[in-house]
Amino acid sequence: MAPNHSNENGSIGSSLHGVTAREQIFSFSVEDGPSSQAIRSDDPTAKFALPVDSEHRAKVFKPLSFAKPHMRAFHLGWISFFTCFISTFAAAPLVPVIRDNLDLTKTDIGNAGVASVSGAIFSRLAMGAVCDLLGARYGTAFSLMLSAPAVFSMSFVADAGSYLAVRFMIGFCLATFVSCQYWTSVMFTGKIIGLVNGCAGGWGDMGGGVTQLLMPMVFHVIKLTGATPFTAWRFAFFIPGFLQIIMGILVLTLGQDLPDGNLSTLQKSGQVSKDKFSKVFWFAVKNYRTWILFVLYGFSMGVELTINNVISGYFYDRFNLTLHTAGIVAASFGMANFFARPFGGYASDVAARLFGMRGRLWTLWILQTVGALFCIWLGRASSLPIAILAMMLFSVGTQAACGALFGVAPFVSRRSLGLISGLTGAGGNFGSGVTQLLFFSSSRFSTAEGLSLMGVMAVVCTIPVAFIHFPQWGSMFLRPSQHEERSKEEHYYGGEWTEEEKSLGLHEGSIKFAENSRSERGRKAVLADIPTPETGSPAHV
Amino acid sequence: MAIKKLLFASLLICSMIQSSHGATKERLFTDLEKGALEITATPSRTGEGVVLAAGIDKLSITWKVSSTATKEPEFKTIKVKLCYAPISQVDRPWRKTENELFKDKSCPHKISSFSYDPTVKTAQSFDYTLERDIPTGTYYVRAYAVDAKDHEVAFGQSTNQDKTTNLFSVQAISGRHKSLDIASVCFSVFSVVALLVFFVNEKRKAKIEQSK
Repeated sequence: MAPNHSNENGSIGSSLHGVTAREQIFSFSVEDGPSSQAIRSDDPTAKFALPVDSEHRAKVFKPLSFAKPHMRAFHLGWISFFTCFISTFAAAPLVPVIRDNLDLTKTDIGNAGVASVSGAIFSRLAMGAVCDLLGARYGTAFSLMLSAPAVFSMSFVADAGSYLAVRFMIGFCLATFVSCQYWTSVMFTGKIIGLVNGCAGGWGDMGGGVTQLLMPMVFHVIKLTGATPFTAWRFAFFIPGFLQIIMGILVLTLGQDLPDGNLSTLQKSGQVSKDKFSKVFWFAVKNYRTWILFVLYGFSMGVELTINNVISGYFYDRFNLTLHTAGIVAASFGMANFFARPFGGYASDVAARLFGMRGRLWTLWILQTVGALFCIWLGRASSLPIAILAMMLFSVGTQAACGALFGVAPFVSRRSLGLISGLTGAGGNFGSGVTQLLFFSSSRFSTAEGLSLMGVMAVVCTIPVAFIHFPQWGSMFLRPSQHEERSKEEHYYGGEWTEEEKSLGLHEGSIKFAENSRSERGRKAVLADIPTPETGSPAHV
Repeated sequence: MAIKKLLFASLLICSMIQSSHGATKERLFTDLEKGALEITATPSRTGEGVVLAAGIDKLSITWKVSSTATKEPEFKTIKVKLCYAPISQVDRPWRKTENELFKDKSCPHKISSFSYDPTVKTAQSFDYTLERDIPTGTYYVRAYAVDAKDHEVAFGQSTNQDKTTNLFSVQAISGRHKSLDIASVCFSVFSVVALLVFFVNEKRKAKIEQSK
């Protein structure tokens, strides 16, 4: 494979392209001849609207396009996720009304908040497997359309217990995060995956901000038609419910699982091999990096989810703002996701171009720690303007860290990509459940103290990123392995398959991915433009 | 981005306007004249363990200015409010009693507000039907006497200093509605069925594709 850099004008080594005649040797290839070169007229990749790599993943990201299948998958994915965020946090800005209707205590509200994010711990795990086995479309559609009944059932809620149960069930739909990230990861190539995942995740997360504006507005409009407040808030939940059903239908009719088609069709025609769940699960769980990402995401996304639940009430109660104004402030937190998370993904990609995977890891650590420090400041701010400033800086730091983390996650495993997305995503919810339980569910800490303590815990729990080490690329403090075999991407990704599976050629997808991931070496990948052949002697001299 | 800057700037300005009213914010509850108004609130249904229904039951409120009131010439308006008893404030910091009047959240529900007529010296009364947005809880009634600058100067309440006597309980409306319940079930069923239809259909198409 010729690393994609060499095809760009002016990139280092492009003027010498072809001189050594060693370019474009594939160790393993499904198709004959190189296919990552410019599109040829008889090339099957010519049917795509965007330039693609050897796995038919798009090499370019065009957010304003809806072209099949790549950009369409992107838009369907992030909008589905956005809708689920709206539903999950729809209760938060209405809590001042709900707490009066259902006679809730602070403990009840805190517990419901924990429940709203806990359901997704399990559903995100399950979603990873569902995506690997059934494809991203059905993963998304299941999540949307099976949790819509839970959203509608807010009309039946009569006390603290049923309120908690319904919020728990609605929370299951946050699994769309995993299906969305999985979908973009199979549709877009590694070089831009940080930016693409950052945009999809960030724009989806914005739902948590939009809901803080949308729900009070819907509530107000329904009240104008004459309903009492205690009925109006129940009816307001119909809006997120409708959105979920509509998105589910759109995903099923307009979307496509993989660049080449839908999973079930491709599996039946033999182009994509079906993998065994037990193997997928084992390789995800066995990899220690998965668990470090689990903790890290728990304190970037986890903190963000917690804030979505508590910030509106915090500004309402502490600074005596109206429901409407508190909603606007709370919304700004979530809306910062629009640029903050893509920025994190982009920063990760830029760092990778310069420093490889080590750059990605450093970017992640810096962004997450800075965000957590601003969270500590937010809790200590006693005047409104300072609190808002601290909150905005905190939101940018934490959300960018989320984006940067998903610049790293796709490289942890190829075979278990879906399950790792699922586990990491579950970690986010787990972290949110833990922080809400520890700091916001009892009268032990005031909300302000809780915010600062949560920031401290986040700083501490970001330190494990220093322990993520890739033999072929290094880690924050260690250089890549000098070992002949272990320093190759193929060794790392091939290691997920047994010899028997390799002899059957089941690992070819991973090898293609390994070749495409050479870019994670940073500038060294460009300087060492020519990949070392697998055999000792070169094919051509 | 520009919108956010605008929002931040406007909030900054708002908070500065607020802080310029600093002098009024330090008005304390303890500065008010206690017992200047004598007020009683009699629920339409009384008895041991009776819970009033919001939207249905009434309170009959009788009030008059106490003979011991010293700030009586300043009274301009009387504001009558429904307040939470201590038991309804437990584990609910949004209903907390604070000494600073602007922070105090224990009396959020307005019953009535009318101008004070100094010529009428006898007790006056009126009826109040519990609003449908009153939450479930235990309450008492308090009346504030407000001067021309809209500052509270005196108050009286239907319970004693410790807020233990003459309390009444209210049960809120549920807010549930049969039509809402039915609509909810219909849409839920539609969602699940639509998904199953798509799923089964596609499996069938894939099987047909394979058999070709």
